[in-house]
Amino acid sequence: MAGTTDTLSAPAALTLQGVGKRFVRDGRPHPVLAGIDLAIEPGEFVSLIGPSGCGKSTLLRLIAGLDPAHEGAIAIDGRAVQGPDAACGMLFQEHRLFPWLTVEDNVALGAYNDGLDKAELRRRVTAQLARVRLDGAAQLFPQQLSGGMAQRVSIARMLMGSRRLLLLDEPFSALDAFTRLKLQAELEDLWTASPMTMILVTHDIEEAAYLSDRIVVMDANPGRIRRIVHNPQPRPRSRVSPAFAQVKAELFALLDVLPEGADR
Amino acid sequence: MSQGRGRGFPWPALGSLLLMLALWQAMASWLANPLVPSLAEIGHALQKIVAGGTLLQNMAATLHRVAIGFVLAFVTAFALALGMGRRQGLADFFEPALIIGLTVPGLVWAILCIIWFGISMTGSALAVAISITPAIALNLIQGVRAIGPELLEMAAMLRLPPLARLRYLWLPGLLPVILSGGRLALSLAWKVIVLVEMFGLSSGIGFQLNSEFGAQNVSGVIAWTLSFAVVMAFIEYGLLGPAERHLLRWRRQAAV
Repeated sequence: MAGTTDTLSAPAALTLQGVGKRFVRDGRPHPVLAGIDLAIEPGEFVSLIGPSGCGKSTLLRLIAGLDPAHEGAIAIDGRAVQGPDAACGMLFQEHRLFPWLTVEDNVALGAYNDGLDKAELRRRVTAQLARVRLDGAAQLFPQQLSGGMAQRVSIARMLMGSRRLLLLDEPFSALDAFTRLKLQAELEDLWTASPMTMILVTHDIEEAAYLSDRIVVMDANPGRIRRIVHNPQPRPRSRVSPAFAQVKAELFALLDVLPEGADR
Repeated sequence: MSQGRGRGFPWPALGSLLLMLALWQAMASWLANPLVPSLAEIGHALQKIVAGGTLLQNMAATLHRVAIGFVLAFVTAFALALGMGRRQGLADFFEPALIIGLTVPGLVWAILCIIWFGISMTGSALAVAISITPAIALNLIQGVRAIGPELLEMAAMLRLPPLARLRYLWLPGLLPVILSGGRLALSLAWKVIVLVEMFGLSSGIGFQLNSEFGAQNVSGVIAWTLSFAVVMAFIEYGLLGPAERHLLRWRRQAAV
């Protein structure tokens, strides 16, 4: 192996064909997702957006391999998903760090299956913590971190190893507005610098417009794709440009909501 | 960084101990009865068992039996709790056994194990293990249920193999209930082992208590009991306490 992992691997492609999911409610099957067809290119940043109950988080869990009972086919780089995949990482709304491990040990678990020796593991942990601007926090416990810091640590954990597809389930929705804006910009930088495909579930129209190449707008009952909005604005993006406002307006119109309604 | 909560010298505890000693001494001199020995007589008896090496020998025998029973109980309880805490079917299946185990007095296990296994390490260790397993298991089950699905999903996404889950998720996550369950179990274990030793063994604290009882030697009984209490206090304050403060330091850290 030569070079660093970041330049070695290529981002993953994802294909969904006829993906559906039913839950049993009151003894009757209740479809939450139906007929989802979607192809995501390697290195793409795609957001899933839609009203509560449109199944966007459920869809992300299916892709993650956390719920094998579904209809249709899900494949990462052509390989059918049959459980959590080595190429796939996930961020949740909560940081989900192990509270009894230090920041450093939590991040190290991100590469548990990579068989690295101690020195190399340590070097990579330090490098990833530096990338999320937490150089000084290695020895802290999760309880000592602010919400934004903790979410940065969980990002660093997912940057370890050789993940090429990152699923993000509203990772910033529990953070304050200022921290959220900062983390969005940092996430975009990390995505640009890493060979990673990213799929973001969000309630935040502006977040979707700021980060994504494409925005998948979903409908509820059962959850399905209503429309895919292309978002070719050049990066880095300005949140106040006319093009940005136009994408946001299109999304607002599609979702039939006011900006205030978008925030949970 | 991990500064221990600096507690000062435990004056109130020392005060209450001294008061108890003073009250005992007052009662002993007032009654002037050999069945209520004075502090001096108890001290003399203590000196005798310490000097002859009997204390060390018998304490070691008792501790050895408790330790083996403890290990047996913990391994069993841990496996039970992991299953019962996550699968309702298993919980329903094993619950009657746990309830029976909890309600049957330690004395009964002591008698049964001596009858079944005779005077042996197996019998005494099993009696201890059977008596404390239910209490530890019930504690651990609560702990298993308290570890939410979030961290389990995270472990799944990180593709941690079973041994890594044990090391990074279950053991540290259950440590608080392991320690509290361990304390409870220790107090139960002492009571059972003393009974087993009284009935069927020829060494250990229980055996010695029984001989002092046969000789109507109250100061001997008290001397053995006191040395016993000292060892218990040492395990609690000298070993478990500091271990807990170190191992659970992640919980006590204040947010920045």
